[in-house]
Amino acid sequence: MEVWFPMVNQSRMRGSVEPLKLGSVRRQRPGVRRVLTIGGLRRTVQLGFAGFIIYIAVLQAAERGSSTAVSPEAFCPFGGLEGAYRFITSGGQTIPHTHLSNLVLAAAFLVTAFLARSAFCGWICPLGFLQELTSGISRLLQRRVPAARSIVAAVSSRGKPLAALDRPLRLLKYAVLLWSLVGAAYFGVMVFRDFDPWAALITIAAPSLGIGTVVLTVTLVASLFVDRPWCRYACPLGAVGGLVARMGPIYLKRESEHCKGCAVCSRRCPMGLDVHSATTIKSPDCIGCLECLESCPREGALDLRLGLPGMGR
Amino acid sequence: MKVNPFAFGALVLVLFLGTVLVAQTADFWAVSGKVTSSGEKIAATGTNPDEIKGWMTLDEVSRAYGISREELTGQFSLPKDLDFTKQIKDLESDSFSPEKLRAWLKQRLTR
Repeated sequence: MEVWFPMVNQSRMRGSVEPLKLGSVRRQRPGVRRVLTIGGLRRTVQLGFAGFIIYIAVLQAAERGSSTAVSPEAFCPFGGLEGAYRFITSGGQTIPHTHLSNLVLAAAFLVTAFLARSAFCGWICPLGFLQELTSGISRLLQRRVPAARSIVAAVSSRGKPLAALDRPLRLLKYAVLLWSLVGAAYFGVMVFRDFDPWAALITIAAPSLGIGTVVLTVTLVASLFVDRPWCRYACPLGAVGGLVARMGPIYLKRESEHCKGCAVCSRRCPMGLDVHSATTIKSPDCIGCLECLESCPREGALDLRLGLPGMGR
Repeated sequence: MKVNPFAFGALVLVLFLGTVLVAQTADFWAVSGKVTSSGEKIAATGTNPDEIKGWMTLDEVSRAYGISREELTGQFSLPKDLDFTKQIKDLESDSFSPEKLRAWLKQRLTR
C-alpha cells in the first residue's frame, strides 16, 4: 500500500524547507547554522586582530631595545592619517612613532570605510573589541550577581539626566579629529598621542601613568555602563570613517511594512542608534557591526543593501 | 540589491587586508624606522638632525655629529654620570627630548 504525505506536511516536518514570509517571525536556524552566525564571525575576526596586536606588544616588550623590535603603534591607521600631511609636504618623511605601515593602514581604513561602512570599527578595531568585551562582562555580572545588577541600575538611574548630552557629546569626536590633524600638520608630532587610550594600551613595553592611561581607565569603566563610549564620543578615527561611510554604496534599510517596531535592533546597537525608527540607517556613527540585523526577529524587516554611492540610496 | 551579511564580513577583510597586500607587493611597507626595507640597520649620518629617532642612543648621536659627551650633558642639564648607551626616548625629561635634541643640532649645524 502506498503511503502518501502531502508536500506541505513534509516540509513542516523538516522545519527548514518552507520559505518564510516577509514580516513573519524568524525561526531558529537548524544544526550547525545556529552556531555560524554573523555575530560569531565578527567576534572571531575581532579576536584575530586583537590577538595579533597583543602578540606584537608582547614581542616588543620581550625584545625591548633590540633593533628588530616592532612597535604595535606601527599598526595604527590613525597614525597614518596624522602623518599624511607631513608625508606629502616633506616628500616622504613620516612623523615620530609612525612608519609607512601607518599610511598604508590609513588608506586601507578609508577604502574599507567607503565600500563597507565604518566596518573597521565594528569588525577590526581592538579598542572597540575591548570595550565590547568590558560591556559583555558587565552584562554577564548583572545576570549572575544581583549586587552588580543593583549597582549598574543605580548608576544608570542617576546618570539618566546625562542622556540629554548624548547628541552634543557625539560631536566631540570631530573636534578631537580636527585638533589631532591640524596639530600634527603644524607641529610635526602626534599631539593626540599623549591622550590616546589606544597608545596607552599598546605601549605596555614602556608603561606610564599619563593622561592616555587615565582616558583608557575612564573608557573601560564607562564601558561597564554604556556600550562603546570612546567610539560614540571621542574617537577621531571613527569620526573620519563615519564621514567617509556616508558617501559609500552599502547601507542598512528598514522595511516599515515588515517591521513591528519592537526596537530590539535599537537596544542591541552598540552605538545607541535609533534603528527601529529610521528608514535607511545613514548615521555616521553606524559601525557596520550588523548587531541590529542579526537581532531582528522579523524576516525582511532589516536588510543590508547595495546602492549608488552618495546618491541618497 | 540585497547584500548577504556573510559576504559583507568577507568584503571587510578583503578590502582591508587586500590594500595592505597591494602595498606590500609594491614595496610600500615598513613597520620600523630602525631597519631599511632591505633589512639594513639605519644609523645617524651626522648631517640631518631630522634622522634622529627616539630609539637611537646618545652615544650614537654623539659620535655621528662629533659632539663631546660633556657638551651634550651641559647643554641639556643631564646628569654627569649618564648612561650614554640608553635610548634617547628613555632619557626624556623637562630639559631633554628627541625634539629638543633635533632643534639644537639644527642650530649647531647652521653655526
